Parts: sequence; structure tokens; C-alpha cells
Amino acid sequence: MLSTLSQCEFSMGKTLLVYDMNLREMENYEKIYKEIECSIAGAHEKIAECKKQILQAKRIRKNRQEYDALAKVIQHHPDRHETLKELEALGKELEHLSHIKESVEDKLELRRKQFHVLLSTIHELQQTLENDEKLSEVEDAQEASMETDPKP
Amino acid sequence: KPHRFTEVFQALQRLHMTIFSQSVSPCGKFLAAGNNYGQIAIFSLSAALSSEAKEESKKPVVTFQAHDGPVYSMVSTDRHLLSAGDGEVKAWLWAEMLKKGCKELWHRQPPYRTSLEVPEINALLLVPKENSLILAGGDCQLHTMDLETGTFTRVLRGHTDYIHCLALRERSPEVLSGGEDGAVRLWDLRTAKEVQTIEVYKHEECSRPHNGRWIGCLATDSDWMVCGGGPALTLWHLRSSTPTTVFPIRAPQKHVTFYQDLILSAGQGRCVNQWQLSGELKAQVPGSSPGLLSLSLNQQPAAPECKVLTAAGNSCRVDVFTNLGYRAFSLSF
Repeated sequence: MLSTLSQCEFSMGKTLLVYDMNLREMENYEKIYKEIECSIAGAHEKIAECKKQILQAKRIRKNRQEYDALAKVIQHHPDRHETLKELEALGKELEHLSHIKESVEDKLELRRKQFHVLLSTIHELQQTLENDEKLSEVEDAQEASMETDPKP
Repeated sequence: KPHRFTEVFQALQRLHMTIFSQSVSPCGKFLAAGNNYGQIAIFSLSAALSSEAKEESKKPVVTFQAHDGPVYSMVSTDRHLLSAGDGEVKAWLWAEMLKKGCKELWHRQPPYRTSLEVPEINALLLVPKENSLILAGGDCQLHTMDLETGTFTRVLRGHTDYIHCLALRERSPEVLSGGEDGAVRLWDLRTAKEVQTIEVYKHEECSRPHNGRWIGCLATDSDWMVCGGGPALTLWHLRSSTPTTVFPIRAPQKHVTFYQDLILSAGQGRCVNQWQLSGELKAQVPGSSPGLLSLSLNQQPAAPECKVLTAAGNSCRVDVFTNLGYRAFSLSF
């Protein structure tokens, strides 16, 4: 009888210990479960944060590409400084040429006036010579008529 | 016997179907698709995307005869679906459409010059700032209609041939239109005048005379505009009217849109093309239709779980892309 009693005590002690162990295992699992839940929530937040960062990065990339696209087009056009220089040079040439034109025109005017003076002088001279000739003709004619018509 | 006849008839219909337009519901959970027979089908995106989706979820919740002719264009306001095609624009209440035997709320016809031929409406555009709708199509004019009173407030004339597509430049507010005459025209809504014209086919970089000069698709992102069709798909800087990038694809594109840092385009050919602004092709994802006519991005804030890209065109199917990288599945009429 003592041995059966002690056997019963022994198995009850074992069951109590197993029960304790199970309780502690449960607690452990609960703890792990809560930890995992926390880390899942943390991961969700990180994902949301990363998504925002991706959107931001995409926006930046888009801006950069827009800039590049415009820059490429602008590169095709010649440099502003060069164009300004070319414009200046052309302007100066234009001024120079217009000065030349002015001086040539002045010279032309002067020559025209000189020619005019020359021509009018020639014309006057011609007139004078003609007048002289006419006068001398008239004189000759008078002389001739006086010779043919002697004393009355 | 009559049952089999309708089955055969429906199968034939599906074979020859073209889906011209799509529109997402304001709640983001439904997608409307309009086809060449004048029918509109409403699909439940939330059902088709859920984990318990079955084959029936990919069929329409309801299909009804909306117009006598093809439904070329559809847009949604916060409560209504507006559809247009055969010269008339009709309004439907989203909340009512899911019930059978839905009737249109109203229908309006813009004042056309001739009452003999009723020109088709190819494009609709909502202008939220002034609560109006812009219609454009076969009569080469843009008509503005006030959504509250239903009166037609302006007529914008300038195009010399019919108009295919419209886009809204929110900041100004300006409307861009493109059409058969090969020109993209910018209209200032306040002065009702044309403020800028870009004759795309006149630019050597993008013109493709063997395809024609028609502008089939248009999209704008404040300072930038992308357009395609006969000429090559090109990115333009609006203020300087210069073409900055020509996208190297031979097939004429019929729909184009800006999305994040990409440009999405589709047209002749199976694929949805994804482009970087630099002109590089990032990805080409094949769909189930031999050609695509419309793309729709569901960005409704009320349904982030239904955030998908849908593509439809020369078939009875609407491809759904949950991720821009591959086609997840297709809805079908």
C-alpha cells in the first residue's frame, strides 16, 4: 500500500510539474506572439515610409529628366555670348559700311555739282562764242552792204 | 434552339467587339467600359481583385444599351457617369447603374451647325474649376457645357478637321485639343481664344508623312505635353513649343498618359509601353488585345486596394494590371 501511495504521489507531482511547464510555455508563446505583432506593425510603418520615399525619388527623377530634356534642346542652340559677339561684330560692320556709303554719296554729290558748274560754264562759253560769231557776221554783212552801195 | 442562337450571336458580337472607352467610378470599386455596339458594361473591380474571385467576377455586374452608336468617350464626376458617342452626351447615376433597367438622367446635344448630319463626339473632358464639360468631335469645334444648367456656354473654333482628343492644363486653366488636321491647339477658357498652336507634322524630328498627320492622343503635365498618332510619340515643352524627346516606336499610339515619373502609351500592337522622360523604353507589357485604344488608371483615394491600370481596345476584354510589370488578368464582356 505504501508503494502504491508513493507511486500516486510521484505521478501527481509529475503532472503538477508538467502543468507548470505548460503554463510557462504559454506565457513564453504569448510574449513571442506580442513581439512578432510589434515587429509586423513596425515593418508596415517602414513600408509606408519607403513608399513615400519612392514617390519622392520618382518626382526627383522626373524633374531631372525634364531638365535634361530641355538642356539637350538648349545645347543645340548656339551659345548666347557667341551670338552676342557675332551680333556686335555685324553691327560694327554695318556702321562701317554705312559710313563708306555716306562718304561715297557725298563725293558723288560733289562731282555732280562740279560737272554741273563745268557744263554750265561750257554752255555760257558756247553762247558767248555764238554771240561773237553772230556779231561778226552782222558786221561783215554791214560792211559788204556799204561797199556795194557807194556814194548816193 | 433560340437559346443556342442567342449564344452564337453573343459569341459573334464578342468576337467583333471594340472597347473604345473606360471610366472608373467615384468610389473606385467599379469600372465602366463602352463598346462599339453602344453598350456599357460595369465591372466590379473589388470583386475581381479580391482573394475569393471566381470566373464570374471577371464578367460585368450589369450591361446595358446606352447609345445607338459606339460609346467613344466616358468620364465620371463625383456622382455621374457621362458617356458620349453618336452626337449626344448622356448622364447616368453611378448609384443607380448597378440595378437592372437603368435609365439615363439626361441627354444633351451640342448646337451643331447643320442639323442634317449629327457628328460624333470623340472626346469628353471635365473642367472641375468651372463645373463644366467639354465635348469635341466630328464638327471640328470644342463645345463647353455647364454641368449645373446644361447650357452650352462656348464654342471654340479653329480646327480644320475633326478632333480626336482633349487634355486639361489645370494651372491656367487651358484646354489642349488634337485632331485630324495635325495641330495641337491650346485654348484659354477665360478668353475663349486659341492661345497657341503646335503643328506637329511640320517638325522634322517627329513627322511621319506615311502615317499621316493626325493626332490620336494627347496628355499634359503643366509645362509638358506628349502627343502621338500619325507623327511619332513626342514630348513637347509647351512654353517654347519645342519637341524635346521623340519616343522610338513605329506603331501609332492611340492613348497616352503621364504617371509618376513615367509616360504610359498604347496603340497599335499588344503592349502597354512605359517610357522614361528621357526617351528610353522602360518596359513593354503585352495585353490580351491585338490593339489598344484606352488606358485607365484607378487612382481614386477611396479604394487604394483597387489601384490598377486597365487597358482595352480591339477585343471584348479589359486587361487589369495590378503592377505595371505584368498583366494580372482580364475582365470580359
